[in-house]
Parts: sequence; C-alpha cells; structure tokens
Amino acid sequence: MNHKNKPIYILASILSILYPLYGIIQFYRGAIAWWIPWIGGEGIQLGVRIGDAWIPNAFPDPFSGIILMIIGVIFARSIYLSRKNPELSDGFLFVGWILALLMLILNLVVLAADILDTYYPLLWGGEIEKTWTLESDPWGIAPHLILGIIATPIYWKIKHLLKQLIP
Amino acid sequence: MAHVKRRMIKVALAGNPNVGKSVIFNNLTGAHQHVGNWPGKTVDKKEGFHRLDDKVIYIVDLPGTYSLTALSVEEMIARDYIIYEKPDVVVDIVDASNLERNLYLTMQLIELGANVIIALNKVDLAEKAGMKIDPRKLEEELGVPVIPTIAPKKKGMRELVEKIIELAEKRSKVHDGKMLRYESSVERFIEKLRGEIVSKKKLVKLFNPRWVAIRLLEGDEDVIKKLSEIEGGEEIVKKAAKLRKEMSAELGDPEVAIADARYAVIKSIVSRAVGELKRLTASDLLDNVLIDKYLGIPIFFVILWWWFQMAFIGSTPFCDILGDGFAALGEALTGLTGNPFLDYLFFGEYGIIQGIGVVLSFVPLIMFLYFILSLLEDSGYMARAAFVMEKAMRKMGLSGRTIIPMIMGFGCNVPAIYATRIIPEENDRMIAILTNPLMLCGARLIFFSAIAAAFFGTYAGDVLFSLYALGIILAFAVALILRKTLFRGAVSPFVLELPAYQKPSFKVAAIRMWDRGSMYLRKALGVILIGLLIIGILTATDAETFTFTTDPERSLVAALGRSLAPIFTPLNWDWRLIVAMIFGFVAKEIVLGASAMLYGAGEEEIASKLANLYNPIDMYGYMTFILIYIPCIVTIAAIRQETGSWKWTIFTVAYGLMLAYIINLLIVTLGHLILG
Repeated sequence: MNHKNKPIYILASILSILYPLYGIIQFYRGAIAWWIPWIGGEGIQLGVRIGDAWIPNAFPDPFSGIILMIIGVIFARSIYLSRKNPELSDGFLFVGWILALLMLILNLVVLAADILDTYYPLLWGGEIEKTWTLESDPWGIAPHLILGIIATPIYWKIKHLLKQLIP
Repeated sequence: MAHVKRRMIKVALAGNPNVGKSVIFNNLTGAHQHVGNWPGKTVDKKEGFHRLDDKVIYIVDLPGTYSLTALSVEEMIARDYIIYEKPDVVVDIVDASNLERNLYLTMQLIELGANVIIALNKVDLAEKAGMKIDPRKLEEELGVPVIPTIAPKKKGMRELVEKIIELAEKRSKVHDGKMLRYESSVERFIEKLRGEIVSKKKLVKLFNPRWVAIRLLEGDEDVIKKLSEIEGGEEIVKKAAKLRKEMSAELGDPEVAIADARYAVIKSIVSRAVGELKRLTASDLLDNVLIDKYLGIPIFFVILWWWFQMAFIGSTPFCDILGDGFAALGEALTGLTGNPFLDYLFFGEYGIIQGIGVVLSFVPLIMFLYFILSLLEDSGYMARAAFVMEKAMRKMGLSGRTIIPMIMGFGCNVPAIYATRIIPEENDRMIAILTNPLMLCGARLIFFSAIAAAFFGTYAGDVLFSLYALGIILAFAVALILRKTLFRGAVSPFVLELPAYQKPSFKVAAIRMWDRGSMYLRKALGVILIGLLIIGILTATDAETFTFTTDPERSLVAALGRSLAPIFTPLNWDWRLIVAMIFGFVAKEIVLGASAMLYGAGEEEIASKLANLYNPIDMYGYMTFILIYIPCIVTIAAIRQETGSWKWTIFTVAYGLMLAYIINLLIVTLGHLILG
C-alpha cells in the first residue's frame, strides 16, 4: 500500500465494516418481521433520527441485508489484498465500488418511483390518496444511498480501470 | 468474371468476432465487394477482389467464429468453406490484445491443414495494455507467417497482400500441423488414429488426416456422418469410437482433454512470444473478482437481486397509471353496445376489458426487466454469470451449456427449449428440455408481480426473487434425479468464450426491450383475448338455465371450478383459483386476467379483494403451484417437437403437476404450522 492510496484504503476499511453492519441490522429486522415475529426487537436502527424518519433507514429485509453483507466482504477482500497484491486489490475495490454505485442508483430509483406513484393522479387533475413523506417511504434514505455516497471517492482510485473499459 | 477467375488467388478471411475482420476486408476490397448469403443459410457472405500489379486476389469474408467445432451455423460455414473450397490462403485475423483466446481458432485452422497467414491486428491496443508481442517469435512458434496490422489505420495491409501472393505461389502441399504437437498423453491417441486414416487413400484425398483424427476423438457428429458415407470411413469411425473410449478412461472427456492440450500449447507459445505484462488489464482484474471461486456466485446473486428490485419498484408507477387507465376505459365504455350481455361481457365488473387491462398493466414491468437484462448482457457480465454457475450446474447433473437456455427461459420457455439444440449430448439435452419449464418466464411474472404487490407490499421484489430461486433449485433437483435415474451418464463438457467487457448501449437495450416486450402486447390481443372471452362467456352463463347471469357464483365456470374443489381443498383454494389455474394452461398471463375477471376487480382492487380472501401463506403456495405446474400450450408443443416424443411431453406435464401440488401442500402445511 503506498502512502498516496492510504486515505482510499481507510475509506474501504470503513465501508468493509459499515456494509456488513447495516446488512446484519437489516437481516435481523427482516428475519423478525418475516419469520420470527415473537422474538421482538424490530426497532433496532443505527443512524440519525429526523422527525419520524431514520437516516439511514435500515428497513427490515433479510435479502437486502445479505446483499449489503456481500458488498462488505468485497471491500474487506480488497483491504486484505492491499499489502499482498495491490493490483488484485484494485479489482475488488473496483467491483465493490460498482456494486455500491448500483445500490445508490437503486435507492434513488425507489424514491423517485414512490414519489411518482403517490402524485401521478395530479397529472390529470385527480386526487391523491395520501402525501409522500420520508418516514412513510418503506425504503426512505436507506444505507444503500448513504454508503454509496461514502464510497464515491473510490472513483479516483479506480478511474484508470474504468477508462480502459469505457475509453 | 470468368476471365478474372482463371488467374486469381483465392483467400478466406477467418477470425473471432470483433477482431477487425470486416475492416481488413473493406481495406483490401474497397468498392470491389458484394454482399449476399451463404447458400441455404441466412448468414451474410461478403466477397470481393483486390488487385496488386498483375495479380488478382478473390477474398471471401468467413463468418466470425471462436472455434471450428461445427456447433453453430457460422462455424459450419467457415469449416466447410476451408475443407471443400480449399482456398489458397486463409488469413486468420487475430486480436493481439486478446492473443490467448484468439489463438484457439488459429490452432484449429492449422490442424485443418489450411495455408494460414496470421494478421496480428490491434497491435497498438495490445501495446497500450502493456503487451509486447514479438511477431517473429510467434511466427517461429506457430510455423506460419505473422503480419502485424492496425486495420483502422490501414497499417500492414500491403505487407499482408504481398505475403498472401508469396504464400499462394509457393504453395506445394497442405500444412499438416507438423510444428504443433500436443502433450504426449493426447498425441499418442491422435497419432494412432491418424496412422489408420492415412492407410485409406480416399479419405486422405478429401481431408487432412490429423484433423480428421482429432475431430473423431472429439466426437464430432458432422465428421462422423460425413466419414460414414465414404468408402473405408465406417471402419475408421468404429476404430475412433474404440480409441475415444480408451482415451475417456485414461484422460477423462476427450473433448476437454484435447481443448486443454490446445490451451497448454497456446500458453507456452504466448509465454515465449509475448514480453512480460506491465500490468493486468481492467478486464483481467474484473474477471478475477466476478468469476472468483468464492465470491463469483454471491456477486451473481447481488446482481440478480438488484435487477429485480430495479425492475419491480421502478415500474410500479407506470403499471399503476396503466391500470387506472384501463379501469377508466371500462367505466367510460359501459353501456356502449346497448346489449346487457355484451356490455357485461366486455365492460362489466367481470368483463374482458378488466382482464386484458390487468394483464397489460404489467407490461411496463416486463419492459423494465428486459431493458436491464439487455444492459447486463451487453456489458459482458451474463457470460461471466454463466461461467460461475457452470460448476454448480455440472454437480447437479446439468451441462454447463444449459445456462444459456435457462437464462432465456426467464424470458420465455419456448425459444429456450429450442435453444437447447446447442447441447450436443442427447441425455444432457433431454434433461435441459424437461427442466426448462421450471424457469420463471415473463408470462408467469405478470401474475406473480400483481399478487406479490397485493400480499407482500414493499417486499414484493424479495418474494419474486425467492420464486426465481425456487424455480432454479427445483430445476437442479429434478435434473439431479433424472441424471441418477432415467438419463444416466457423465455430463458433457462446456467451453465458454468470455466476451470483452464493454459499455452497454441504451439504444440497443431499448430496441431489445421493445422487441421482447411487444411480444406480450401481441399475445394479449391474440390468445389471451380469446382465453378471456371464453372465461367471460362461461362466467356470464348460468350453469342451470344456460341463460345470462350477472352472478358468477351461479355460472358455468363456477360449476367447473367446484367440480374440482375436493382435489384442491387441502391447498386452501376456492373455485376461482382453480379456474384461473386451468385457463393458465393456454397462456400463463391468463391466470391474472382470469383472476381479475373472476373476482370482478381491476388492477387497483384485485390486491384488496384477494387479500380479504386469502392469507399470504396460501397465496405464496398458489404462486409456487403456478410456477411449477403444466407449461403453457406453446411450450408443450415445443417440448413435443424437440424431444420428438409424446412420452417425454406427457412426463413433463405429469411431473410438473405432481411437483406443484406437493410443494404447494408443503408450503401451506408447514407455513401454517410455523407461522400460524
């Protein structure tokens, strides 16, 4: 690991902790909501509360939890390889960043779709049943969005690879 | 033209797809070219002329192929042209930036005995990627001339033409691949068979003996067929079969052993002819992760999950807008005909507009799914997904080649069943056909999307994901059982070429999305409309008096459903679900349209109506039944055609029905037991 890359690897280390952490919370909440409701404790959140909304909102969903854990493992692997083989480490960083970006896009699409789904009747002068709010949105600002934003600086480390693929 | 042909040199351009073959063809022929079709095929045939001094060169652009195994039409055309038309020179255009993969075809051309010149194209890109290729060393190793070229800049064209003329004029006899020998364990079998072939004069006149020996050991059906028609060929085929058995016992599958031997030679050539790589390319680094032994499959599941979430959630507002539009249309048209029966049949609460509207309102979802799938295919990722799944599939008794029809089955089972033709081994192919209906096709997806949204709200994407996973797991399980019982034997090997990664084109994805998605529109206006019309008439006809009724409970369709109720009572279905399931046999989209008509609900209300009648466990069970039971009528026809047997067609229908019932019963029983 050379000195110049240190901040990026520190960032990747943080992501390799945060992704699995939020993944575990989502999985736990999802498992309780779906399969073992008698355990209780669904309310676990890790973030900032603004009004009734949590940022990020680790909505209960075991599948989503597993997905976040996998992304965390990819970042962890890039850290593990950063000393042994920095070139291969860049590959894991690259894939981790792509997946983080895909999750960020997904969260944005979900928010846009939910807002459109609430307000589209207004397009032809109809009435809306209820208004959209951040706390009423099942996803809201989820870890997918926040962690995706945190992962953005990795772009500068892997942009030479991206340019090779998309000249 | 006849005057020209007497003096001309005949040249064939061969090479992998996307190596710059067309650019070289255009450079050489300029305006002197003609585009037609290969006889009896729909593959483009490009031919043209090049003149240098008093020499005239006739050039044919062969279809781009990765190998000459005759598994595809393109490979067959390229191979037959070289064997039967015997061009003076075959120019093999090799992508220097992807040397190892491209040399596989080169090895096969040399095996074939063609007079090969390598046009080492894209040398500039190879250098940019850090590769330093020594053309002279490559020439020495392969035993054929190598000309470096940069096609877009027309570099190396003159040298290439001069070499073509030199080689064509010096030509004495066909190359016998003397320079290239494989490892001794494989070479021993090739030489043994080659010795037998050389003794048959008629065969030697027609084919290169070494090539025939290799192809027979690889079990090439086309070569076996052609040889069987020649005097002395039958005997060689029998000896080859015996040697193939011996080779299998000693080295495993001969096709894999020979492919490995080719790659071993290629690797050794590349290591000597290519200078040390400065660094791994982005493509190498991506592959290192995406086809990683441990992370490859989890990453594939991340991509699948993302794909379904994007499609399902992203399309929701558009589906809702269409659903509202059809509900408004039905309302606006009520009373249009002036006839109570027709009005009820078409525009009523249980009418056809209602049914069609619900089916069509899910077209945006299908479009979103196909759009994202096209982007993934275009990027080069889906080939990697096939690669990572291959090992798991082999363990489950499915050939790696099955992954292609399986992925196609997510769109529609009919083309997927026809696509099983790419699987050469009969047992592998039968297993692939019989398990393909378990792949969740787009038609079933329409019904599942509506039900999942109604019962599972924001988790609908996860429910869909679980149904896809269930389909795949069941396909694996059935394949494993079939492999251990009815179709015993080893799984045939799979050689997959990984295409280069590239930026996906939104335009191409949009075109493909429309092509695939519009199929549902056409279907909705054809077979689904007819199916719903029949259900509509049966719903509006009183079962006792055979007169018009507005009470579905008294209708003919209710009588039909109730007559089968004892069978489905353990699954907690009512007569409406039974009827919807029966009509799903015609086309799976009808299940949703029929449900809408039978419950008298549009896209908006069907959720609440069903949610009032059933609980999520029962509905999830019903969805699994629809996933597994009888394929639609067109798929059944395709199975009959491709298996050539009613026995296997009926078998597919029967095992599907039984499996569907058992799984549904298990879900309902265990679900209620655990969750109450």
